[in-house]
Amino acid sequence: MIRNAYRILDVGAARLGVASPIAGFHADLDRVYPYHEPTPDDRFADIRVSVLPGSRLRLRGQQASFWSEGARVFEPYPLHSALPLFEWGSNYLLSQRLNAYLLLHAGVVARNDRALILPAAPGSGKTTLSCALALAGWRFLSDEFGIIDMDSGELLPMVRPAPLKNRSIEIIGRRPGAVLGPLYPRTRKGDVAHFVPDRASFLDRHRRAQPRLVVFPAFRAGAPLHCTPLDKAAAAMRLGLNSFNYRALGPAGFAAVVALTRTVKAYELSYGDLDEAIACIDALFRETS
Amino acid sequence: MSATPPPSDVELLLRGMHGSLTLDEGRWERVLRIARATGLHARLAANNANNPDLSAVLRRHFLSASRIAAFRSQMVRAELFQLAPLCAVDHPVIVLKGGAYLLQERPMTIGRFVSDVDLMVPRDALRAMEQRLRAAGWQTEELSAYDERYYRDWSHETPPMRYPGHALELDLHHAITPVTGSLAFDPAPLLERSVAIPGTPFRVLAAEDQLLHACVHCFHDGDLALRIRELVDIDALLRESATDDGFWATLLARAEELGLQRPLWYGLHFAITLMACPVPDEVMTALPRPAGLTIQLMDRLVPLAMLPTDPDGPPPLRARLARAAMLARYHLLRMPLHMLLPHLARKATLRLRARIAEKKEAPDDGAP
Repeated sequence: MIRNAYRILDVGAARLGVASPIAGFHADLDRVYPYHEPTPDDRFADIRVSVLPGSRLRLRGQQASFWSEGARVFEPYPLHSALPLFEWGSNYLLSQRLNAYLLLHAGVVARNDRALILPAAPGSGKTTLSCALALAGWRFLSDEFGIIDMDSGELLPMVRPAPLKNRSIEIIGRRPGAVLGPLYPRTRKGDVAHFVPDRASFLDRHRRAQPRLVVFPAFRAGAPLHCTPLDKAAAAMRLGLNSFNYRALGPAGFAAVVALTRTVKAYELSYGDLDEAIACIDALFRETS
Repeated sequence: MSATPPPSDVELLLRGMHGSLTLDEGRWERVLRIARATGLHARLAANNANNPDLSAVLRRHFLSASRIAAFRSQMVRAELFQLAPLCAVDHPVIVLKGGAYLLQERPMTIGRFVSDVDLMVPRDALRAMEQRLRAAGWQTEELSAYDERYYRDWSHETPPMRYPGHALELDLHHAITPVTGSLAFDPAPLLERSVAIPGTPFRVLAAEDQLLHACVHCFHDGDLALRIRELVDIDALLRESATDDGFWATLLARAEELGLQRPLWYGLHFAITLMACPVPDEVMTALPRPAGLTIQLMDRLVPLAMLPTDPDGPPPLRARLARAAMLARYHLLRMPLHMLLPHLARKATLRLRARIAEKKEAPDDGAP
C-alpha cells in the first residue's frame, strides 16, 4: 500500500504531519510557513492529519475536510479555506495531546530568553498584541499556547502563523515589516489572514525561555491605558482560568501555576491603543529585569 | 523455516492491551494513532509505564493520555460522591459499567476512559429517583415529545441528565436490555445478586452479571463501529474473574437463567479470537452455538466494524459497509420491524432538518 506523503512542519514544541492533494492548500502553506524546508518524514509526528477535497459536484461549492486517525474531526470548510481549517483543527488536536505540559491559553513573546506571557480569553486582543510585539522586536513564541515544562518551569515555543481576524488584519498589516498570508474572507469567524512570524523566531523555535512577566491583556476600543499590578494569589487564579488543562492536571497543575507565579511579576492591562500598550509593556519588562 | 508475517498495527494494539511492547518510534506512532481512534491510547500508556525502551516523545504522549484518563476517572468519582446522598434510599442503586469498575478498584480501570455514569434502580423507583435528581439540580436536555416518548416507552434508560457545569452525563436505567427487544427480561434477579460497595450507598452487579451486561452492551446495544474497547473490557473482566472459584459454572448458569446465552457466546468467541482470552474449551461447548452461516457472517463483519482502519485516511468502503450492517442488525434486535421502520424514518427526517438548520463549527481559537 502506498502511504500518504506527509509534509512535516517542525514548529518547535510539536511536529505536525499533513497530507493533502489540494494544490491551493500547499501554495497557502508555502506562504505562511515560508522558512520550513522539506524535512524527511522519518520521525514521530505529534499529529498527522489529512486535508481532503469533497465532491466537485456539490451545489454550494467544493469543500475541504479535516481528517485525523480515520475520522473527520470538524465540519468541512470551503475548499479555498483549507488552510484556516488546518490551523484550527491542528491546534485543537494539539490542545488535547500536550498534557505532559501546563498549557496556558496565551500569547508568548521574549527578549532573548526572558519571556512575557499574555494569557487571555478569545476576543481580548491577545493574538493582535503578540503580533504587534513581534513586529516591535520581540521574539515570537506563540499567539495561542503558553507551553510550560512543569519540571523546569521553562516555556517552549510553538512558532505557527497567527490568525488575525477582521479589523486586526489591517491594524497589523500596515505595521512595518508585517508579512501576512492570504486573506480568507467570511470564514465562520469572519475575515481571517495569518501573521507570519519572522525568520529569527522560526530559527529559535527550539530555544526555551524563562517566564519573567505576565500581562493579562484586555483590549477595548477607545479605552484609556490602565495597568494594575496583580498580587501572587490573584495572578495564580487567573493563570489557572486561562489554561487549557489546569483542571485536568490536578495537583501537578496547581504546583506548576504556583511555581510560575513565584517567578514572575503580573499585571492586568486594559488598553485601546496598541502602541501605548507596547510602550507600557516595554517599561514593565525593563523594571522586571 | 516457516516465515511468520510481521504483526499488523492492529495485532500490536491488541497485544498491547496485555503488556508492554518493544517497537521502533515510527511503528509506535502508527499503533498510538489507531489506539486514539478507538479510545485505547491510555491503556497502552498504562501498560508501558515502566517500559525502558520508550523515546522521550512517546513518554510525553503517554503521560498526556494517562493524565486525561486519570482526570476523567476522578470526575466519575466526584460525580458519585455528589450522587451518594441522593442514593441512600430503601431500594438498591446499582452503578453499572465504568463507574462500577472504579468503585471496585479493578486494575482494568487504569488508563480506561469513562465518559458517563450509569445507574440502575428498580423500575417502580425510577420516577422517584429521577425527581430526586431534578430537585438536586440535575437537568435533562430539552427533548422533543417524540424523543421523550421513545425513552419512556421503548428504552431501558431515561434521557441523559447532567448537572450544570459537570462534564459527565448521568444515565438512569431500569434494565440492561431494551424493553422492546427479544432479550428483554425482568432485571429483579440482577438486583438480588448485586454486591454492596462498603462505605457508599452504591451496589454493583455480581461479577457474572457485569460480564453478561458487557456482552449485551457490546453486541446488542450499538453499531460496533470502532468499539473494540468493549471487547477489551470483556477480555479484562474475564481475566480478572477467571480465578474466582466456580466463576465459569456460575456464568453459564446465569446466562441460561437470564436468556443471555447468545450475547455471552459472542462475547467469549470474540474475546478468544481477537484478544486471545483464555476461555476453557468446555465453556464454549456448553453454550448453544449460533447457526454456522451466522457465525461466518459475524466473523467477517464484527472485526471489520470494531477494529480501527488505516489512520491515514477515511475508513474504506468495506469497513463502512460492515458498520452499516451492524447498525441494521442492532436496530432489528432492538425492536420489531413494525415499530422500527416508522421510528427510523422519523429520526432520518429530523436529522436532515437539524442538519439544514445548524452546522457544527470549529472551536474558537482552537480551544477545546
